[in-house]
Amino acid sequence: MTGIHPPGGTLARRTLLKAGAGGLSLAALADLAACSNGGGSSSKSLKMLYFGEQAAATQLQNRLQPQIAKLDSSIKFEISAINGTDWNDFLAKVLTQIAAGTPPDIISVATEGLQLMASKELALPLDDYVTKDLPALKEYFADIHPALVESMMYQGHLWELPDSFNAGNMFYSTELFQRAGVVPPNESWTLQDFETAATKIAKFKGINAFGWVVRLWGSWTSFMYANNANLLEEGKYDGGDWLWNKAYAGDAAAAGRKGGWKWGAPTANSDATVEALNYMIELTKKGLSPSPDVGGGGTLQGLFASNRIGMSIGGGFWAGGLANAGMKNGSFDVTMFPKWKSQRHLFGAGGYAIFKSSKKKDLAWEVLKLLVKPDTFDLVFPGNVTTPGRKSLVTAARYAKTGPKHWSVFYDTLTKHPDTAPIPAPPYYNALATALNQRTTQAISSGNAKAALDGLQSDLEKAAGAS
Amino acid sequence: MSAVIADVPKTVVKRRSHPAAHGEARFGFAMIALSVLFVAVFTAIPIVASLGLSFFSWDVISSPQYVGLKNYQQLFNDGPVLKSFGVTLGMALAIVVLQLTIGLALAVLVNQRKLVWVRTLFRTAFYLPLLASTAAVSIFMGYLFDYKFGVVNYYLGVLGIPNVAWLTSGFGAASTIVLIAVWQQVGFTFVLFVASLMSVPTDVLEAAQIDGAGPLRTLFRIKVPLISPTILFAAVVALINAMQLFDQPYIMTKGGPGSATTTVTIQMYQKGFQNLQFGYGSAIAIVLLAAILVITGLQFLAARKLVFYQ
Repeated sequence: MTGIHPPGGTLARRTLLKAGAGGLSLAALADLAACSNGGGSSSKSLKMLYFGEQAAATQLQNRLQPQIAKLDSSIKFEISAINGTDWNDFLAKVLTQIAAGTPPDIISVATEGLQLMASKELALPLDDYVTKDLPALKEYFADIHPALVESMMYQGHLWELPDSFNAGNMFYSTELFQRAGVVPPNESWTLQDFETAATKIAKFKGINAFGWVVRLWGSWTSFMYANNANLLEEGKYDGGDWLWNKAYAGDAAAAGRKGGWKWGAPTANSDATVEALNYMIELTKKGLSPSPDVGGGGTLQGLFASNRIGMSIGGGFWAGGLANAGMKNGSFDVTMFPKWKSQRHLFGAGGYAIFKSSKKKDLAWEVLKLLVKPDTFDLVFPGNVTTPGRKSLVTAARYAKTGPKHWSVFYDTLTKHPDTAPIPAPPYYNALATALNQRTTQAISSGNAKAALDGLQSDLEKAAGAS
Repeated sequence: MSAVIADVPKTVVKRRSHPAAHGEARFGFAMIALSVLFVAVFTAIPIVASLGLSFFSWDVISSPQYVGLKNYQQLFNDGPVLKSFGVTLGMALAIVVLQLTIGLALAVLVNQRKLVWVRTLFRTAFYLPLLASTAAVSIFMGYLFDYKFGVVNYYLGVLGIPNVAWLTSGFGAASTIVLIAVWQQVGFTFVLFVASLMSVPTDVLEAAQIDGAGPLRTLFRIKVPLISPTILFAAVVALINAMQLFDQPYIMTKGGPGSATTTVTIQMYQKGFQNLQFGYGSAIAIVLLAAILVITGLQFLAARKLVFYQ
């Protein structure tokens, strides 16, 4: 934990800022000194940070305000949007905002940022609140897969209530499959089936069989998971029995769950990891896959929607994304990621945490419970832009307008494949993501996966050592 | 000086201390003060704060810890960061050389007597890219230069030329970013050079013509020396800008492939804002500032021999 520091050689933040500014800027001091007083929202507002655009955040704020008013009529609910290409961007901006002395009360954080927030003691463990309200929350836990809850644990404590997730499934264009004479894949298809289909689709001029994005979630990392490999040694923290024994008593899916994922020593240049990245290089060399973009995947989704990509890795959010991009229901479908050495999938989950510096923690907890209620889900995520964490919300009716036909794959990835695991996101996630992106593009550009992943191994060892 | 002041008639001195003159002076100082305040708040204080911060280890969230010169020691042993200085310098030099050469060539071309009527049109056309948001330009260019789906490769394909790895090979990405930066910035040097060329005395040019100097000799022996102060100014400004290259590589390649386009400012951003090493990021910023100062100093030293003041 980073909250405790040796007394020697440490300066109060205010002192440092005074020294740094040389006493020249009262304005700067006032601004930055706010960091040390805990910041937070004003006494009459409850502030939440949200990954997205401000217009959408304001709409959401207005939609939720009546319900917040029922909890406390004197409180104004404020949602501030933070825009970014990916979670890496989002987290960097959140931390800047914290440094500026305006931390929120509630924050929506995905797997990528969970351990970072928890390890820096920015968030509040929810254990006591959950224990206190367990009778009321039993319905919630019964409806949400334990894998998602475990992914929100760190060092035995629960830091977030998850409400959504996205597993790395395979979307495909039914139109291109049909044109190429490829039979739509079933859920247990193999990497060989994938490549056969890709080869047939790639024969069309100007069309690429498989598109992907350079990033941690659902990138070549999906192949890495299917090859039984990972960037970091996998382990789990002890603890968590306080939750598993009470909230998930008798649930087979909760068996073996512990106190959260413990990411150990880097294994980025293991044989299986190198093999997975090499496979991607081979796909590019064979003309089955274009050189990937780095970032959020908007371009890829656009290309898929315009039928220039046959297959791509997507989660439930692709359903809404493709529909928004003009793709008609039926023109695309989804299946499980193909089997290689295993059919192990990865996922990332989203949820809400309470900031430790919040002065309205009890109210924030009530809002968290409100945010994970079934009725609230569509207020927060209209239009299938993510996969509901609650199984009861993943229904045929939900996907009737947007598709895909095999929507049940989204939740089945958790229920049918118990080894489905979260993406590796240790407290030094940002450094990991940066290194992964750079080394992946190096591998694709040079064609040498081993050299790039040796470099990544070294980068991760340094990052792990520095954290 | 004091003798001169002593000779000034008393009436004149009195006139200078007139209340109206005081008001004028106060207004002038107020205007200057605004600029000084602006520079202090947005330049001087951040520099001093960064310098102070560079001696600390600070992750924003916890209390800062004094580490002395450790961040600087780390920097000079950090291969990727040192490489980013090389990448930045290489790209900056390419940008400056191209920007100045193309800017001057365009300015000379447009300054021809025959083309006077289109001068305003060209000035606007070449200056416009500079007004566009660099982020928007970078996103747009990213689409244009996409390896598989970009318009540029599409038209090359029509001509039978195979796809070029504009942004997906190390050299290609660096070159493309340099070209885009030059395209966006060249209008600035172009406008400066056009204005400067217009101020070259016509009698000198006419004398050269009478002496039988051809267009090239006139350009390199008369015009270039006469506008050399402008060239120096443009070179200094262009180099300072280019050394801070961030938007284009960050948006178009995220510093890749590998670290082929990872500039110092990208390293600074990644270390500071993404890896939460604000002290280390500040040390990188200070070393970059020092590097820019040294290079600018070298430019001025070179200018002693190369710049001609009338």
